[in-house]
Amino acid sequence: MSGPADSIEIQNVVASTGIGQELDLEALADDLPGADFNPDNFPGLVYRTQDPKAAALIFRSGKIVCTGAKSIDDVHDALGIIFDKLRELKIPVDDEPEITVQNIVSSADLGHNLNLNALAIGLGLEDVEYEPEQFPGLVYRMDEPKVVILLFGSGKIVITGGKRTDDAETAVEEIVERIDALGLLG
Amino acid sequence: MSDTITTRTYSADAKSRDVRPRESERDETQQDETQVCPECSGHLVTDEEHGETICEDCGLVVEDTVVDRGPEWRAFDSAERDSKSRVGAPTTKMMHDKGLSTNIGWQNKDAYGKSLSPRQREQMQRLRTWNERFRTRDSKERNLKQALGEIDRMASALGLPENVRETASVIYRRALNDDLLPGRSIEGVATSALYASARMAGTPRSLDELEKVSRVDKMELTRTYRYIVRELKLEIKPADPEQYVPRFASELGLSDEAERQARQLLRDAKETGIHSGKSPVGLAAAAVYAAALLTNEKVTQSEVSTVADISEVTIRNRYKELLEVQDGTLLA
Repeated sequence: MSGPADSIEIQNVVASTGIGQELDLEALADDLPGADFNPDNFPGLVYRTQDPKAAALIFRSGKIVCTGAKSIDDVHDALGIIFDKLRELKIPVDDEPEITVQNIVSSADLGHNLNLNALAIGLGLEDVEYEPEQFPGLVYRMDEPKVVILLFGSGKIVITGGKRTDDAETAVEEIVERIDALGLLG
Repeated sequence: MSDTITTRTYSADAKSRDVRPRESERDETQQDETQVCPECSGHLVTDEEHGETICEDCGLVVEDTVVDRGPEWRAFDSAERDSKSRVGAPTTKMMHDKGLSTNIGWQNKDAYGKSLSPRQREQMQRLRTWNERFRTRDSKERNLKQALGEIDRMASALGLPENVRETASVIYRRALNDDLLPGRSIEGVATSALYASARMAGTPRSLDELEKVSRVDKMELTRTYRYIVRELKLEIKPADPEQYVPRFASELGLSDEAERQARQLLRDAKETGIHSGKSPVGLAAAAVYAAALLTNEKVTQSEVSTVADISEVTIRNRYKELLEVQDGTLLA
């Protein structure tokens, strides 16, 4: 059945890792072509990979945050590229640094317009944040899976805060069920 | 003839039926208060006229000279009512000590209205200082005092009524008791409390209006507001655009007809659900503008824009959507 669950697309994956080694970012910025380092704006060094498209934030403590990738595999590929670059510069990097996924942002489409006012009351005002004066979306905090869902009037939704790929899927199925139970779908 | 008799007996019946349950109720409450004679376990009654509690069976006086908590009898004019009143102003959450403490008057006059001697005057000034220090002993009370003053100031500037101020004060007190203040500014929390209470009372003020009278910027206000609402579980419904209409209409000097039309436009819009995710202030402004045009009253977009604090572009966009809905309902 083609439903809202099929329209899920991962938009961003954020993961963190560390090389277990303090870094001299000033020197690294000179040695690594294409690196942005602006200590006045941001204490980390930003290095962008083109394929897969991702950005890595490298910090002085040796911790690295990779963001902007479209899948978990892409995160691993992007970080692999960065580890190789660092090894080329004779910086010791552990063989298989542990990579933890911190956040996955996905989008989906429910295929119907939503009446957010009715939905805010229906879903229970305590779990819902809907302030049209401040933000046009309705923010729904789901307990299981523990994700935050942004619902928009057009029926498009954003699921964020999940750590696994199937979190988004379960969350969409759950929210569709709840909205349907309220009779507010379409 | 017979008709009147029947009605009379009927009304007499109704009366006696009315009275009976009340009597039994009174008996019950007296028994509930363990009104039993200590000598013979008889039934006690309170004789309010003599201020005594006596046993119905043996006549023992259990309690005499009871304090009369009722109001002073017979006050003929307002001056008499004031002098005979045994109570002060009602307590209010709007003052940090609920208005229960004593204030030393600012006029340097004694009870007869005569001016005080310079020596006494100095003494009173000193007493005032200490009274003020004593009234606000710990930091929480000082915090509360400042915040409640701030709430009152902003509410006055926005023309919000007493009940909204009272609610805002209660929200602020709850936030203070739940330790939500550390890390947030007093002004920020006070402003959010006022914004929330205005929404709860159905007389919402827009964020822009609050920002103008507040000492915090919009970013901090919205952030604090969301935090307070979440932590205190206030369950505030999204503001209804209709609630802004009367204020905008009267500030623009529109007729009742236009106001009614604006409400109707918004109701139609709500039915079709095009208001989802749109700012209620913007919708209200556009509805007021559209209604003025439909009733041939002259207002410009820029006038509405100044009154509602909404950009003309927003008004144009919303106004188009509202009229589309209107056409749709007329055709259907």
